[in-house]
Amino acid sequence: MWSPAPAESTTSTSTEEDGPDDRLRVLVGGLGYRNLRDGSVGIHVIEQLAERSGNGVEVEDVSYHPVGFSQNLEDRPDYDRIVLVAAVARGRSPGTVTAYRWDGQLPDNEEIQTRVSEAVTGVISLDNTLVVCGALGGFPDEVHVVEVEPGSEQWGEELTPEVEERLPEIVEAVWSSTRP
Amino acid sequence: MCFKNLPVEFDEQGNARLKEGVADPFSYEVKEVTPIEQDDAKLKKLLERNGHIRTVDFDPVTRVAGALAFHTVVDLESRQVLETDSMATLFRGYEVILKGRDPRDAIFISSRACGVCGGVHSTTSALALEMAFGIHPPPMGTVARNLLLSLEYLYDHPLHLFLLAGPDFSEPAVRETNPEIWEQAQRAPASEKDIHGYSTIGEIMTAMTPLSGELYVEALHMTRVAREAYVLIGGKYPHPQTVVPGGISATIDISDLNEIHLRIVKFFDYGQKVVAVYNNLLDFFYEVNPQYREVGRRPANLIETGQWDDPEAYDGTFANVDDWARQRWAPPAVIRDGELATKSMTALNMGVEEFVEHSFYEDWTDEGAGNEAYRFREDPNGNPLPPNHPWNKETIPKPQATNWKDKYSWSTAPRWDRTAMETGPYSRLWAAAVADDYTKNRFIEPTGRSLKLNVPKGALPAREYEWVIPTESWGAFERNRARAHSILYTALIAYDNLLIGLDLMRKGESKVSTKYKVPKDFRVGAGFWGAGRGYLTHHLVMDKGVIENYQIVTPSTWMASPKDPFGNPGPYEEAVHATPLLENFEKPEDYKGIDILRAIRSFDPCMPCTTHIHTENRVISRDVVTCACGVDDEHEH
Repeated sequence: MWSPAPAESTTSTSTEEDGPDDRLRVLVGGLGYRNLRDGSVGIHVIEQLAERSGNGVEVEDVSYHPVGFSQNLEDRPDYDRIVLVAAVARGRSPGTVTAYRWDGQLPDNEEIQTRVSEAVTGVISLDNTLVVCGALGGFPDEVHVVEVEPGSEQWGEELTPEVEERLPEIVEAVWSSTRP
Repeated sequence: MCFKNLPVEFDEQGNARLKEGVADPFSYEVKEVTPIEQDDAKLKKLLERNGHIRTVDFDPVTRVAGALAFHTVVDLESRQVLETDSMATLFRGYEVILKGRDPRDAIFISSRACGVCGGVHSTTSALALEMAFGIHPPPMGTVARNLLLSLEYLYDHPLHLFLLAGPDFSEPAVRETNPEIWEQAQRAPASEKDIHGYSTIGEIMTAMTPLSGELYVEALHMTRVAREAYVLIGGKYPHPQTVVPGGISATIDISDLNEIHLRIVKFFDYGQKVVAVYNNLLDFFYEVNPQYREVGRRPANLIETGQWDDPEAYDGTFANVDDWARQRWAPPAVIRDGELATKSMTALNMGVEEFVEHSFYEDWTDEGAGNEAYRFREDPNGNPLPPNHPWNKETIPKPQATNWKDKYSWSTAPRWDRTAMETGPYSRLWAAAVADDYTKNRFIEPTGRSLKLNVPKGALPAREYEWVIPTESWGAFERNRARAHSILYTALIAYDNLLIGLDLMRKGESKVSTKYKVPKDFRVGAGFWGAGRGYLTHHLVMDKGVIENYQIVTPSTWMASPKDPFGNPGPYEEAVHATPLLENFEKPEDYKGIDILRAIRSFDPCMPCTTHIHTENRVISRDVVTCACGVDDEHEH
């Protein structure tokens, strides 16, 4: 199973309030399904960050199929950086936050084709978004990712305590990824 | 005769009634099925041919929407499929979620049943609510709804033809599984080059190559064109925000219609190209080996509820359903063994039963005998209904170990007149082609044996196309050919509705919704509509302003269904069982299963996503992505 590799990896706890350098054009995209507890953390994060948008930073819910996302990105003026935040279950402790710059490596064509098929049939996931947009186009050179290990992705509006208590840290990890 | 198996007859006025003297009219006996693996004698005989008998599991079946696993036992020497089991591996459960909710929630919650075509669920839900509330949209609201449906299909058809099913006909797939056919394809001229631009069949196959082929990339682009038009009315896709009981909640002006117009006409040219591509491709396969007609073959048993309402005729009532449904651009019909069994919506509705003998649910009917759950013995017009009808259905999940003899799927087994039916774009074409009372003749002309499609001029000249009802065989390749024609059929319906919308606009009839109040008394309703893949119904029972029961039957519930209590396979199972293994392989371990996959994918499987549900004493696993539970002999869900 393909999973994205970091070009560099950090766990950010920055609380600086500085915005990004205004020379950068940055898109912050939250990914996830609503009402699936920690599976919705990406959407929670961008809802909190929405009020900080401006000065070159756009904050957006990108929880739609990645082919459409790729096509939308192709239509827009180039971004200097995209920051994606989502829950991804990779067997870590619930609430683990991993921030990295994606290295842009793609799986083989058969895997990409599978991901495109999933994308057009409604599957929304971080890995699909990286693979599909990486293959079809639209990404800038710099794609940063903030992953959160979910404790529960079951039906419900509330985050688990493990993720809820780290939400401020996740928000700041995302925000710090927008800075030069 | 409409019904052959259900104990229902019609009087001289055409009113349905139960046959007299049948003591327990809908009860049935469950026929035991014995899988090969559990039949010692058969297994021993097969094992004597050691090495050629193989269990081949497709788990998951890729390039389909959602979670489908398919179990087969094949004889690679005689090149036959010996046994098939279709398994929906995830529980959907929307029926359980919707109980006790405000009925208006159904529009938005049921939409989430599908990530490809959620909008059709929204509209089907709105139709069910309209019947229960006693309202209907003004003409422009119905036109807007018809446009949304058309645009959703114009997204869906290219997706199926070039991203999901199409790769099975692409150069890499054909080179790998039948290199001798690829050799011939490179030399075979393509007769429709003037339309699609490819000189040989080999060039078409190359253009269908995933990710890099021109036709693959163009299909991705055309799905975007359709989505762009869709969101002008729907607000977003695939889960529209503007579908409401009594119409839509967005205003539409002339610029919206013009924007949609610009995009619809692109499908006139694109549809011509796709038909030309598929005609050349499929005819080539038949010429190379006529046995390709047998791939995915099954009896022509099709069910079509009809869709695209007439803006003036639709009144939302069950009392008049047989009148307004016949005015649809796709009228209702049941086709049995290639012949029209009924064109009556009430007959279609009363003949539907859902069985759960091989599904992870509890029977709520005592094997058709009926019990306290048998609430509706008649529909609102007085026609008899069986205990297994959706209006009577109770969704009682019963997760347990998978066993091919017993229960092995989360799909129920819907049947019409106790016969397995398939449905899809082709059932729409077929129902229209045999309609002797068709009213939507501006661009579409049924002949009884075909459907003529008069395509206006785009970049390509105007031209008449004709989809002819297949009489030689009904199989996977003909499903795909019909799907290709459905792009033109759908674009013409969209264009027809656009012209009606412009006319309404000129008359000042731009109102798109009707005021309503949620009734607090007991009501029932039903939405009869369609998805890209075919038949879609929502049956609603409500009281005190909330939903008492809500039952969804999707196209893939019909087609992915497991065996029924009478021992008959579901459509996927039946079609794969009939499929000859034409793949070229020397050693059994080289076998890929391309013919089986072509058969399955021709139905465009869409296994609706599922949601986490707590039952009384256990948790049913949830997954909203395409995933695969293993198809071991036994496993817990």
